[in-house]
Amino acid sequence: MHATPLPPVGGSPSGGARLYLIEDDPSILQFVRQALSLRPHWQLLGHAGSLAQARREALLCDANVYLVDLGLPDGRGEEALRLLARHKPAAELLVFTVFGEESRLIGALEAGATGYVLKGCSASDLVAAIEQIADGGAPISPLLARLLLKQFRSVQDARPEPVAAGLASDVMLSERETDVLKLVAKGYVNKEIALKLGISPATVGTHIKNLYRKLAVHSRVQVVRAAQERGLL
Amino acid sequence: MSLKVRALQALMRLPAYAWAAVLVFVSLLLLALATRAAHVPGARLVDRALLWEAPLGADSAQAVRLPHVWRNQRRDWSGQATYRLVLPPDLDHGEAAGGLALLMPRVGVRHRVLFNGQEVAAVCWRLGPGYCDTGIRSQFVPLPLALLSVSGQANHIDIEVQGQALRISGLSPVWLGPRDALEQRHRWLDWWQVDLTWMVTASALMMGTLSLLIWMRTHERLFGLLGGGLLVLTVRLWLSTPSFLPGSFAVWDYVHKLSFTWYCGFVYLFMSELFDFRQGIVRRLVVVMMALGPVWLLVLAWTANYQLYRMWTGVIVLVCVAALLAVIHRARWGMNVNQRLMVVVGLAVMITGLRDYLVVQLGLPGDVDIRWMTPGSLVLMFAMGWVLVRRTAVAMEQVARHNADLARKVREREQELHSVFDRLRLVENQRVLEAERRRLTRDMHDGLGSQLVQTLNLVRSSGQSVDSAAIEAMLNHALEELRLTLDSLEPMEGDLPTILGTLRQRIGPALQAAGVELDWQVEDVPAVPTLEAQGVMHLFRCLQEVFANVVKHAHARRVTVRTWDEAGRVCLSVCDDGVGLGHAAGDAFRPGGRGLGHIQLRAAEIGAEVDFVDAAPGTCVILRFAPA
Repeated sequence: MHATPLPPVGGSPSGGARLYLIEDDPSILQFVRQALSLRPHWQLLGHAGSLAQARREALLCDANVYLVDLGLPDGRGEEALRLLARHKPAAELLVFTVFGEESRLIGALEAGATGYVLKGCSASDLVAAIEQIADGGAPISPLLARLLLKQFRSVQDARPEPVAAGLASDVMLSERETDVLKLVAKGYVNKEIALKLGISPATVGTHIKNLYRKLAVHSRVQVVRAAQERGLL
Repeated sequence: MSLKVRALQALMRLPAYAWAAVLVFVSLLLLALATRAAHVPGARLVDRALLWEAPLGADSAQAVRLPHVWRNQRRDWSGQATYRLVLPPDLDHGEAAGGLALLMPRVGVRHRVLFNGQEVAAVCWRLGPGYCDTGIRSQFVPLPLALLSVSGQANHIDIEVQGQALRISGLSPVWLGPRDALEQRHRWLDWWQVDLTWMVTASALMMGTLSLLIWMRTHERLFGLLGGGLLVLTVRLWLSTPSFLPGSFAVWDYVHKLSFTWYCGFVYLFMSELFDFRQGIVRRLVVVMMALGPVWLLVLAWTANYQLYRMWTGVIVLVCVAALLAVIHRARWGMNVNQRLMVVVGLAVMITGLRDYLVVQLGLPGDVDIRWMTPGSLVLMFAMGWVLVRRTAVAMEQVARHNADLARKVREREQELHSVFDRLRLVENQRVLEAERRRLTRDMHDGLGSQLVQTLNLVRSSGQSVDSAAIEAMLNHALEELRLTLDSLEPMEGDLPTILGTLRQRIGPALQAAGVELDWQVEDVPAVPTLEAQGVMHLFRCLQEVFANVVKHAHARRVTVRTWDEAGRVCLSVCDDGVGLGHAAGDAFRPGGRGLGHIQLRAAEIGAEVDFVDAAPGTCVILRFAPA
């Protein structure tokens, strides 16, 4: 069921990014194609203009980076994210958003997104974002960090429950991750956080990416628990 | 509906006092039946005697009729007398009924009995000083047959009596006859005189204590008066049963008489309270009587002058008559159920008193040795208790009704308040929405709108040669403006570090592009309540202005952003290392300057004070937020 792990993208000389775009705006498709011209060895494997098309085609494609717009004409991008997260766990799922509203982003992260890119960024910004995520990092904003802290605090409050206890390390924040989130929430950037915590900026990025993964796991645990409570499982 | 049911319903509708009247009537009837003129089979009631007002033989004898009370013979009624009775020759000596016996219903206060010159009984005779009153209960004396005269002379019984100052002494008619029959009669009298009195005493004590406890909790005067009255009645009744008590006679007699005075007072005060007759001369008289009683009786005990007690009894009777008239006067205005009940029971008690007077004093038919007043006082006591229970029950019903009314009113008010609150909330929501809409419109107009207009003008003025880089920069700026507005709408709950971090995301690249290094020293501070959506936008605009000045006018290379908590006040500073106050070109931070005015205006909106400090080199802008 799970896809074969893909080779790393970006800086790796042995492989390149294989992109798939789920977006109904043709100008964005055009923009992505322009951006790819900066990295000739990257490929755009396909494009879906609707959720239905994405359901049909996205999983068949051997992409390792998916760019997903949240506002699709026939549904929400979060559904595509959930689908991809389940069937393509090794792929990077980047959300395309105009304003980066954190309260909506957190829903996308719970659905399985591993990062986000602001629409309206330059081509080089897009390439940098893909490379950052491929290098194990992840974008984050202070408000998003704050929301994540709140989200995980609610998980920790529910920890005594057996399901949560079994998956504690998968859904709980580590002490270091908590420190990172707190500093991000105070507006510190990765470099400053690395300096304060005595770690490398790349490690900070890794921590953030881990947080996103845990958030998605937490979200799935919640779904499973709700199903168990309703006697569906 | 059948006749039986209607009759039953009519009976059930009868008020309590009517039921009480029926009950009292039946009780009096039963009492009359139980206390008909006494008849002891085989026994004779002897009501004539020879009297020596001294030890036997010391003085000449005189024939007297019984009951004989020592009245006016001596000032203090102390001293000694002897009554001689002659056994009727035809009296059955009772060999078959356990022998002969003498029954003295009342004799006192101390006595001894000699049968044909031989002492056969003595009560308190040789006690010496102290409290003793044998007249309180009947005295039963068996007469040994061995002492009967064998010489044919008449058999005689000498009853020697010692008197007591301030206490009625003497001898009532006595019974002579078969021992068994008289012993039974003695037990019957004992039940009335002792056992029944004990029952009344115990009831009075219990009800009195209960009333006082209720009074202590409710502070309702009726309970206090009833409690006081019943407790003094308890004392009086308790002193009416034992023939002997340790201690001084004067003390116990004083307590006995005082308890009667206070009992009368309490009963009247209770009645006046019950009849809402709280003012008036009679009430004041009663209070004076209760206050004067202890002194008067002390003088009486000191002087041992029985005339003083007669006068005092007269005062009590007069006050009671006045009280009765007052109640009758009050009754003209109509009475409620409780008052009528008390009138019914009061009349019944008066009937018992009248009966005792008629039978004992005037010799009307009836058992002279049994007093109706004792059960009468018991009925009065229970009636008073019943009235109080009814009053309390009615009061509780009223309280319950008031509570229900209150609860209903509270519910209605609550509903009204809810409805008003809902309307207010609606209005408030509309007001907030309107304010938010205006704010967004203003922000769009000042930020995004003006940016787009500038871009449009640039495109129009450029003609064929469009400066795409400039247009891109302007559109980017417009987009950033829009993002800033949207950022302000995110739920940041007054968290200053997060707000600053969000702003940093927007302005950081611009500072970097201008070559200004950002030193971020933001620490956790308490939440600032004024920093909701609109407040956040004000702060953003303030800081945009500050950073714009840093970049455009101060020529700074480094800017430090710091937060801290200063004795409960959240503080924020933005310090640069530029040219400092007064040296910057343009109007930045000049008193009266536009930039400074904008910052101060927006800071005031979020309840913050602004200070512009010359940091030499550079400038510090410090915002101090009002404490939460």
